[in-house]
Parts: sequence; structure tokens; C-alpha cells
Amino acid sequence: MARYLHIVAILFFSLSLTAQNKGGLKLHFVHPTGDGKMLQLDSGFVFNQKDSMVIHSLRYYISDIKLFQNNLEVYSENGYHLIDLSDASSLNIALELIKGIQFDEISFNLGIDSATNTAGALGGALDPSKGMYWSWQSGYINLKLEGKCNVCPQFGHQFQYHLGGYLYPNLAIQNIRLKVNRKLGSELNIAFDLEQWLLQLPFSVQQHIMSPSKNAVQISNAAAKAFKVWDANKN
Amino acid sequence: MGRQQKLSFAMLFCILISVLAFIKTDEFTVPKNWPAPAYNFKNNPLNAAGIALGRQLFYDPLLSKDNSISCASCHLQYTAFTHVDHALSHGINDSIGTRNAPALMNLAWQSHFMWDGAINHLDVQALAPISHPSEMGETLNNVLEKLRTKQKYRTLFFKAYHDSSITGEQTLKAISQFMLTLVSANAKYDSVQRQQSHFTAQEKRGYQLFKTFCNTCHTEPIFSTYEFANIGLPVSKTLNDSGRLRITQKANDAFKFKIPSLRNVEFSYPYMHDGRFKKLSDVLNHYTTGVQHTETLAPQLEKPIILSSNEKVDLIAFLMTLTDKHYLFNPQFGYPK
Repeated sequence: MARYLHIVAILFFSLSLTAQNKGGLKLHFVHPTGDGKMLQLDSGFVFNQKDSMVIHSLRYYISDIKLFQNNLEVYSENGYHLIDLSDASSLNIALELIKGIQFDEISFNLGIDSATNTAGALGGALDPSKGMYWSWQSGYINLKLEGKCNVCPQFGHQFQYHLGGYLYPNLAIQNIRLKVNRKLGSELNIAFDLEQWLLQLPFSVQQHIMSPSKNAVQISNAAAKAFKVWDANKN
Repeated sequence: MGRQQKLSFAMLFCILISVLAFIKTDEFTVPKNWPAPAYNFKNNPLNAAGIALGRQLFYDPLLSKDNSISCASCHLQYTAFTHVDHALSHGINDSIGTRNAPALMNLAWQSHFMWDGAINHLDVQALAPISHPSEMGETLNNVLEKLRTKQKYRTLFFKAYHDSSITGEQTLKAISQFMLTLVSANAKYDSVQRQQSHFTAQEKRGYQLFKTFCNTCHTEPIFSTYEFANIGLPVSKTLNDSGRLRITQKANDAFKFKIPSLRNVEFSYPYMHDGRFKKLSDVLNHYTTGVQHTETLAPQLEKPIILSSNEKVDLIAFLMTLTDKHYLFNPQFGYPK
């Protein structure tokens, strides 16, 4: 019996050791619209120095998060996260890391990979009831932006961009890899720079994108380029 | 052997038997000499409670915006789950769609759904009719809200998933469970293959003609490859339906539609993606004299098919042997009591 007690003790000890070695990293997503302001849904702001803009909905998937140190992968997770500006808690993603782990780059996907797009009904953030799944033609919407802008010529000045597509050549998923130059801390801010991205949207010529297309891929690519590591003090 | 040992053996035996019985009722049986199903059952293992829930959902008009249309409104069992005598199906507010409701059977062997293959997995198929404004005009979220208010469904979901939160995933997978049980493999043709019955002389002649002219695309034993083909139908000016092209945006997919299975074809009229033909003889007349030659025409139809009127009758006699009464009248597939 004493022998077993030993084993139990060792097990317990190693468990508590792993627990001690776990550290947290909180990714926090911010959405600057220029002049040091952050996006507020349903409230107007000036865009492109002269135009008025209101965003009613901004939602997107972040998946396949990885960390690198000197080009070597030191961490990866398989989660799918829906960032939804109408739900403040969704702007944070908590990663469980080994304590003291060093990394100099972070990589993640903006959108959902092709295999997951053909895997049938899925749950959690991927549940089709989240409003990020097309019904008439299978596939996830990677990024959804809806709002109003005075540049849009149609009645109500509305626009809807539902960006997705999992089949070549209209594959819309984007990989984003960012250099991280930071002292160890428990939080990393990542900005989706709307001031930069909105300038590249075709408000005056195409107000609705609701299916996979070349334009959807282009706009997704522009979105990916607008992601950056955000230093709250500097920016 | 001690008494205790005997007892434990007996108990083990009982457990084994009950486990076997459990597997027997729950497993999906692949008919003999059929290919492996395309559906991945590992992600949605069939069980009696899930199938029962899916059947309730399939027959419940709650899925539509005004609670008037269920899946079964356009997919009736006695006509192999298609919309009998309707070329184009209608939905809420008397609206008419643009395509003929496809017959439902042997769905486990299919990986693309709809006439143009817009849907890439059985689980997400139901989303299309639920949200289409000319079909059920509803959203998945509203359906879930409505289900959550019903004690009956909270109980059924709990039985199926040990959880009564009622998510989109659970709902869609349950509908899949019921649809996966819709296997038609017991027609006269099948009993002939099992050597339990014989074709008549006329059916035999028809079978030979079938193998010569039809089997490349309507391949045995499922009677379809479930590929997409342009069979040279004149394009309707009002519907102007380009078929698979709309989904893939590839020019060589123009006017291609999913090849339907010929099982239960006697009852699944009218025929074609827009239900333009009422009778099987109309279909055969199209193949012999109606084929329009366009760039994406199926290569099998480049050379004209020549059939005498007697041969057409023989071929139709064979097609009748694909009628599966056990399927059409199986009480397990009907309106849940």
C-alpha cells in the first residue's frame, strides 16, 4: 500500500508542478478608427477625413493561433474564435502557455480553413446559428461588416460585406504573421486597423458582397494587412 | 468452476448480448455489394433517440416562418420523398421556387446536395430550405428559439444528447440522423441480385438496354454516380438556370445538374431539375430525339441514342423494377405518431 501512496504523491506533485508552470497570455483585439478612437458600433465617425460612417456589425473568425521563437513553433492551439464587436468578452482570447516561454512572432488565420468548411454541422463558435454560415451555398463567412456610409449611393446608404469562400480560386482565408517585440507580459494587444482597411472597401461601386468572389478575396487580403501588434502607449 | 465465477460469466454474457443488441439497432447497415457511404458516421453516430428527434423535426412545420411548411410538405414518403405532381415546389406565402424538389434516399452515399451541388455536407443541407424565402423563409436561430419553448423538444433533445440546450449543431445533426436512415435497397431489382426473384423476359431486355445506354451515369447499385452532367435539355427562357456553373463559376460546368438516382423513379415524377417531364416516356424521348448539342454536353450523349418504341417499353419495364415498396411504405419513415 505504501508503494501506491508513493505513486499518488508523485502524480500529485507533478500535476501541481505543471499547474505552476502554466502561464497565461491574453490576446486582446482592438479596432482603431483613427484619431486614437476605437470603434463603437452604431455610432457615427468620420472616415476618409470627410465621409460619415456607421458600423452596425463587425464579426470575424480567428483560428489556428501559433507562436514562434526564432522561426520555431513554440505554441499552437486548435481553437476557432468568433470576434464579435457586440460582445466585449469575445475580444479577448486566453492562451495557456508554459510559464516563461519566449516568442518573437505570432501567427493566426483570419477565417476558417477549407477542411472545416466541409465538415458538416459543428458546435461552439462554429455553430451555424452564430450567423456566420451561408445557407444557400455551404461555407463559413470569415468576416462580416455591415453599416452605413454616405458614399454608398443606394437608398439608406447601406453596405453589407460577407467575406468567405473556401474553394480555389476564391479562397478567402488569410494567414497573418506578426513580429512581436515585447518584454514578457500577460497581455498582447492586436489591432484590426479599421482606419486603414475601410479606405480600401468599394463603398461607391459595390455595396453588397454575399458570396465567394475575386473581390471578396481581395478585400479579405486587405483586411489581413490591417492587423498589427498594438502598443497602447505608442499608438 | 465456482458458483461466483459462473455468475460473473453469466453477467458478462448478458452485458455482451445487450451491447450487441444496442449496436444492432443503432448501426447503419450498408446493403450487400454497395460501396462505402460518403457520410462520416464517426462525427454523428446514429442512435434511436437521435433518429426519433430528427423524424419529429422533419415532419414539424415549426421549421418555417409561419409554421405552415415542414420538410415533408415537399418531400412526401409515398413518392420517394419528392413533391408529387409539382414541377416546381412551393413554400410559404404561396411562393414558387425554381427547381423540382429532389427525391430523398440513400443520402449517406452523397457528398453534394441540391441540383447544383451548392451544399457540401448532409448536415448543413437543411439550412438552405429553412432560410430560402420561397421555401420556409425562417432563420436557424428562430427555429432554435421556437424549439426551446416546447417541452416536447427539450425532452427529445435531452434523450438524444443528454443536454437540452438545443443548439444548431444538435438540431442539424438530428435531422441528418433521420435522413441517413432513408435507405432504399429492397426493390425487385435487389431481390433479383440476391437471386430471390427473377426478371420477366421484358425486364431482362430492358436491363440489357439499361446497361448499354444508362449505366455509365445512373450506375448500379445506387443508380447514380452523383456527378454533374449536362444532358442537353433546352434551356428554359424564364428560369434561365445555368446549374452547377452558379456554384463553381467554371464555364465547363454550365447547364450541368446533379445526376439523380433512378431508384423509385416510377413514383418520383415529374422529372428533371425543373420537373419539365411528366412521364418516363417523355424522358426517353428526350434522350432519343431531344438532346441539344452544346459545349458542355455529356460525352455519352454526343452520339445519338436510338431506341425503337418497343425497346422504350422494355426499358421502362426494367425501371419499374427499381420501385421499392418497402421503402415507400416503411412505417418508420412516416409521420411520427
